[in-house]
Order: sequence, then structure tokens, then C-alpha cells
Amino acid sequence: MSDNVTKVFNWVNHRLPIQNTYERHLSKHPVPKKVNFWYLFGALAAVVLIIQIVSGIWLIMLYTPGEAAFSSIEYMMRDVDYGWAIRYMHTTGASMFFAVVYLHMFRGLLYGSYQKPKELVWIFGCTIYLAMMAEGFLGYVLPYGQMSYWGAQVIISLFGALPYIGESLELWIRGDYYISDITVNRFFALHVVALPLVLIALVFLHLIALHEVGAGNPEGVDIEAYTDEDGVPLDSVPFFPYKVLNALVGIGVFMTVFAIIMFFFPEGGGYFIEYANYEEANPLVTPAHIAPVWYYSPYYSILRAVPDKLGGFAAMGAAVAIFFVVPWLDRSKVASIRYKGILSKIALVMFGMSFLTLGYLGTVSVTEHRKTMGIICTFIYFSYFLLMPVYTSIEKTKPVPDRL
Amino acid sequence: MIGLTSAFGAAGVPFAATPFIASWNPSAKAKAAGAPVKVDVTKIDPGQQITVGWRKQPVFVIRHSQEAINNLESNIAKLADPNSEAIDEPYRNMNPTRSKSPEYTVLVGVCTHLGCSPKFFPEVEPQSWDASWSGGYFCPCHGSMFDLVGRVFKGVPAPTNMKVPPHNFNGNILTIGEDEEMS
Amino acid sequence: MNIKNIFSINLKWIRAFLLLFVSFTYIDLEAAEEAPCKDYGECDEFKHSLKDMSSLQSGASTFLTYCYGCHSLEYSRWNRIANDLQIPEEIFFDNLVFDPSIKPGDLMAGSMSKEESAKWFGVAPPDLTLVTRLHGSDWVYTYLRTFYEDSSKQYGVNNLVYPGAAMPNVLAALQGNQQLACKQVPVIAKNGGEKRDNSGNPITKEKCGFLSIEEGTGSLNQEEFDELIYDLTNFLTYVGDPDKVERERIGWYVVFFFIIFTTLSSLLHREYQKDYH
Repeated sequence: MSDNVTKVFNWVNHRLPIQNTYERHLSKHPVPKKVNFWYLFGALAAVVLIIQIVSGIWLIMLYTPGEAAFSSIEYMMRDVDYGWAIRYMHTTGASMFFAVVYLHMFRGLLYGSYQKPKELVWIFGCTIYLAMMAEGFLGYVLPYGQMSYWGAQVIISLFGALPYIGESLELWIRGDYYISDITVNRFFALHVVALPLVLIALVFLHLIALHEVGAGNPEGVDIEAYTDEDGVPLDSVPFFPYKVLNALVGIGVFMTVFAIIMFFFPEGGGYFIEYANYEEANPLVTPAHIAPVWYYSPYYSILRAVPDKLGGFAAMGAAVAIFFVVPWLDRSKVASIRYKGILSKIALVMFGMSFLTLGYLGTVSVTEHRKTMGIICTFIYFSYFLLMPVYTSIEKTKPVPDRL
Repeated sequence: MIGLTSAFGAAGVPFAATPFIASWNPSAKAKAAGAPVKVDVTKIDPGQQITVGWRKQPVFVIRHSQEAINNLESNIAKLADPNSEAIDEPYRNMNPTRSKSPEYTVLVGVCTHLGCSPKFFPEVEPQSWDASWSGGYFCPCHGSMFDLVGRVFKGVPAPTNMKVPPHNFNGNILTIGEDEEMS
Repeated sequence: MNIKNIFSINLKWIRAFLLLFVSFTYIDLEAAEEAPCKDYGECDEFKHSLKDMSSLQSGASTFLTYCYGCHSLEYSRWNRIANDLQIPEEIFFDNLVFDPSIKPGDLMAGSMSKEESAKWFGVAPPDLTLVTRLHGSDWVYTYLRTFYEDSSKQYGVNNLVYPGAAMPNVLAALQGNQQLACKQVPVIAKNGGEKRDNSGNPITKEKCGFLSIEEGTGSLNQEEFDELIYDLTNFLTYVGDPDKVERERIGWYVVFFFIIFTTLSSLLHREYQKDYH
């Protein structure tokens, strides 16, 4: 019996590098033996991606794009057995995806996970983030509630800020003079087929590039410097079972939080599902208070901070684009914040603070005072990046140990 | 030869892309849906505004009080483009109301910033966004301000005045979306 | 994995960060935000009790008697409500559903066509399936109790929570005639205390906008009326989210499962960690 299994396995293995791939990327893949909880969010992002894909496929079976979009949501929530579970899984997943990715990105800034030779890993990661933002936006339009409509109206109008081609570009994206069933249909196609394909391809590239250069650690130590006779780093453990077990604990905690939100607070106090989206889209009336979902709100605040149409759009785009060049802005000799100087620490704290404040401001209405705060925080946000070459090269760093 | 083959192949790309790009243009069905609408404007109380749907866009029709019209000149200093010179506007020099009627204003009720529909605050009273508010439109999305005839304030994100749609008055009846004299 | 170490390094920064952030937010609180219940101010708090069948049943009965004439529940089905509220179908259809052409599995699409009602009221009365999710139950509970007489309006009433509401107070016969009244209230000094004159008596001023019901004009007293509205709001809360009770029941099992799972995997992880520590 087991002989036959081995035979079949060998037959396949000679034609498809199963064993080799499995050992290289999973069972024997060396990972640093000492990492902290910040290193779990990558695995958690993969978990949410799977949740989103599976629940998304089921949602396609229940959702009707076009004019019946809004009522098909209520149909799945009420008439379909456990339809609510599928939908809340997907809405909770969307918010959790961004939460996990933001923490994952912050880890990158904290421990210099973009430094040589990890530039490509970082760039693929930033591209994933960009694709996720597009994916999230398209998905948010699909229920065709008031927030879907007016959110889409604002985002599509952003393209109208471009000189000369702006207005016709807007019309081309919508395919109609307002956001109609025509728009919803094309957004649906992009949301369920085009962008998921792109996302999966990018995640694949992100992982391949990561496995080529090896995972980092909070000390910023290069574990490849000390290896045994087989070339395996001394301060590493094999991915399976050690890293898997470590991740499993993280996944357990994460899923507990996920379940609490999904079953008890699916609306997240109006931040995960906005209350105004319980009203069908009405092209004639903008809700008195419109705010994007929480994960876009920092950028929305940056948009609002600039009192110029094209300028606001440019600032918002730059705020996302600037992440891509971080590997070349950081001139520090050390990777981890633990060994960087005081200036880097201040800069990172200021950045985190401005990001959270911008996020908060994006969810509330505009007043004079808040406008000023938005401008200050936008200024801090960009200073963190633009001054990075200066403060990372003049500050005094601490010596990094040789071993983990 | 390699160059020629590659160039010829590459020349095919825009042709292949054409159907994919062109199919996103508004379809004939979408284009046909924009018929003009008619409203009886005498039903509006002075100082009030109604919203009419045209091409699924909100169109504001405002009936001004005489006092409000007299006041229009008083806050010209706040406006970015009091004579609507930055936009293509056929009704520019007809009336202070920017329309064909001295009493009514007709506006496409869409903020020229990012397309939200601004709210009508006709009263002259301090507001949280402007302590010296003298009546007009305030956009809840990004705080753009317009006066009572849709002219944009200085220092707000909206770049231009609100648009005036093609319209015509025939007695009590206002037709939005069509103007035979002007076209 | 030295958590203590991370904190000792960054504690100073975390503290500074929190302090600044809190002070930022605090300044912000002073900015005037429109009250959720408009002229009424803060809404009255509503605590649902979705397992109280008699409350839900009485709310359903009030809804079908007074509201369903104009407002639909177009995403909800008749028999689902009968089942969820534990009303036997024969009793439900005999006593609460007045139209014999209605089948048990039909959607509660309303008894008036949208065009017809738009002609009657100027605007079509909104569907109420999701009203508690859109505005919140607190809002609905407060709104239904804050109609007052205002002869300048089309239906002779106005509403504090939704000024200019184009809706008659269909429950006026039960509640009685409610008016806006004025009363003397103590003047509050800058230090927060009540202002007093030289002889120690509190100084008062007239303040208006208080609701008061003309006694004897309604068939219910205030307490009974509030209870009626409570049940009605409770019913609408159920209709807005009919699976809430079931969802939360299942939720406890799922959360419990993941807690056990986390415990087991961390024990296993600790066991394996011995290999390299």
C-alpha cells in the first residue's frame, strides 16, 4: 500500500518539483528563531485573503449587480440560510485585511524591512496595498447604498481634476452620466475577477522575493552571516513546524477577534459598515455627513487639507506613492528602530500620530479647527518621509550585535 | 528583421485594445436617457429652493427674495470668480441670478470639486464653517462654499462656480435641459 | 520575544504620543457637532429586548394597525415574522393581516403603490425595513414621541427630531395633543452652579421647546404610550436585523472554539519552542 503511494509520488515528483518546492519554501525554509508579534501580520494577511476569496465566491452566488443590487443584499441577509454569515464574513474581512496590512506595513517601518536587499519585497508589498485600496473601493460600491454612491462619486470625480482629459475620463469610467447600473456592473467584474487575479499574482511575487532574501528580525541582524556546514543559518529554525506553530497562536487570537466582530459587532459602530449605506443610493441627495470607510480616511483628510482640486488629488496620490521610495530615503546603517538614533524614533512616533489623527479627521465633518489640524498632520506625514534622508544620516546609531 | 516584426506586432496592440476601451464609453441607451424636464416655478416660496432630477443629477431651482438679490453684490470680495469668467457660461451677463429670469436661479446641484450635492443654507447667520455666513451653499463633503447663485468662494477646494444647465422660462414653466434660443 | 524589552524602550514615546493625541482630540470636542436628534438634542436611549416575545408581538400589532397603511417592510416576509415572533400562522393571518390575497411567503410590500402615495403625501413614505439600522433605534424611539402641534405645517404637526417631517402623527389619539411649552428654568452661572439673587432665591429665565401633553386628550397615559412606542421600536429593531439573536447565540460557540484553539496551539508552540531555547 505505502509502496504504491511512494511510487505515485515519485512518478509525479519526477515531472513536477513537489518535494523540492515544499522543502525550499515550507518545510526546510529557514526563518529567524527570535521574532516578536509584529512578525505575525504577514501570515494573518494571507489568512484574511483566503477568507475574502472564499466568502467572496459565495457572495457572487447571492448578489445581483445592476438595478437589483441593493435589494439583493437584503435578500441574502434575510432569505438565504446563513447568508448573513457569508456577508458579514466578507465585510469584517475587508476591515480586518486593512487593519492587518497597516500593522504589517508599520512593522516594516519599525524594523527597516525595506532595506537592502529587501527593496523588491517592499515594492511588491506597496503594490499589493495599492491593489487592495482599489479592490476595497470597487467592492464598497457594489451594495449601491447611499455611501456606495457618494463615495464612488467623490473618487471618480478625483479623475476630473486631471487637466484636459479629466471630464471625459470621468464619463468613461462611469459609462453613464451618473453612477448607474452600468457602472456597478463593470465595477463588479473588476472586483470579482480582474483585481483578485492581480492581487494573487502580487502576493505570489511578494513571497517568492521574500524567500529569496530571507525574512528579517527585530534586531536587524543578518542571520546569513553565521551558517553551519550545510549553509543553514545558525540563528534560524525550519519554517515547519516551528514558524507554523508560532503563526497558529497568532491566527487563534486573530480569529477570536474576527469572530467577536463578525457575530457581535458586524457594523463596527458605523466604521466597518456605515449606517447611511442602509439607504438605497439616491443621486439627488448627498447624505449630510459623508465619510469614507475608516481605512481610507487618512488619505481623505490629506485630500481635504489642500484647498485646491488638482493639488488635493496630487497630495493624496503622493501620500500613497511615497511608500514606494522608502528604501532609498532611509540612509541609516542599521535597520531596526532599536539601534537607530533618537531622531528616527521621534519621527516614527510623530508619523504614527499624524496618521491616526488624519484617520480620525477623515471620519468627522469639517470645521475651521479641524481643517488646521488636517494641514498640520499632512505636513508631519510628508516630513517623515522627505526628511528621512537627513535624520537617518546625521543621527548616532547604536552598534548592532552579530547574532540574534 | 527582429525590429520590424516587433514593431509590426506592437502596432497591433492599440487596435486590439480598442474594443476593450471603447466599450466603456456611455452606451446609446445611457445617452438617450437625458430628456428635458419641466417644472412650475411659481410653486416655490420666495427664499426657498427645490431639487429637480435631470439626467439623474440634482438641479437646484431657487426663488430669490428681493432682499437676497440686493445682497448679492455685498459679498463679492469673498468670491473667486464673481462674473463666471473661468467657465463656459452662456447666461453670464443676463441677470445677477445667472439665469434667464431675474427672480430664479437654476444650478446643476453638484459641487465642482468632487461631485457631492451641496446643502442650501439661505439664512444670514453664523455657521460653524463661516462666522460671517450670508446665505448660500455649503458642501458637506469637503467644505466648499458657494453664494446664493452658486458662485464659488475663495480658498475652498472647488475650482469653479456651479454650472448653470441649459434652461428656458415659458411663463410659469421652466424647462431644464433644453434652450432653443441659446443653442 | 521579549515583550518587556520593547515596552521599556518605547514607554516614554508611547506616553508622549498618547498625551498629545488625547489633547488633540480634546480640543476637537469643542467643535459643535449637530445633535443626533436635532432640536431635541441627544436622543433618548433605547435598549432593545429581542427575546421578549410579548413586546415584539405587541409592536408588530401596532405597526400593522397604524403604520403599515403607508409604510412597507419590503424586504421582510409575512410568515417569517409570524414564525420569529412565535405567533401561530392562522392567528397571525386572521387577526393582523387584513388582505386575504396575501400569501404567507409574500414580501410585506405595502398596501399602497409608490406613485399613489407620492401623490398623497408629496413624497412616498419610506420603507421601514432598515429604518433602525439607518437612523438607529434611539432615533426611532425618540422621533415617534416628539411630534407637537404646529398649525403652519401640512398635517398640523411638526417633529423635534425631524423638523419638517411630512407625516401626520397617526398616534395622536393615543398620545393626546402634545405642544411645545415654555417654563422657568434656573439660570446657570459660568461656574456651573445656579445663579441666585441677593436674597438667595434662584434666578430663573423662560426657556421654550419643552414637550407637554394636554391632559385627558389621549386614550393612553404617558407611561403606557412610551411602552407602546418601546414595543414598536423593539419590533422595528428586530425587523432591521432579524438574525441578531441567532447570530449572537452562534457567536458564543465560535468565539469559545477559537479561545480553546488558541490555548491548545500555544501549549503546543511552547512545547516545540524547547527545541531551540
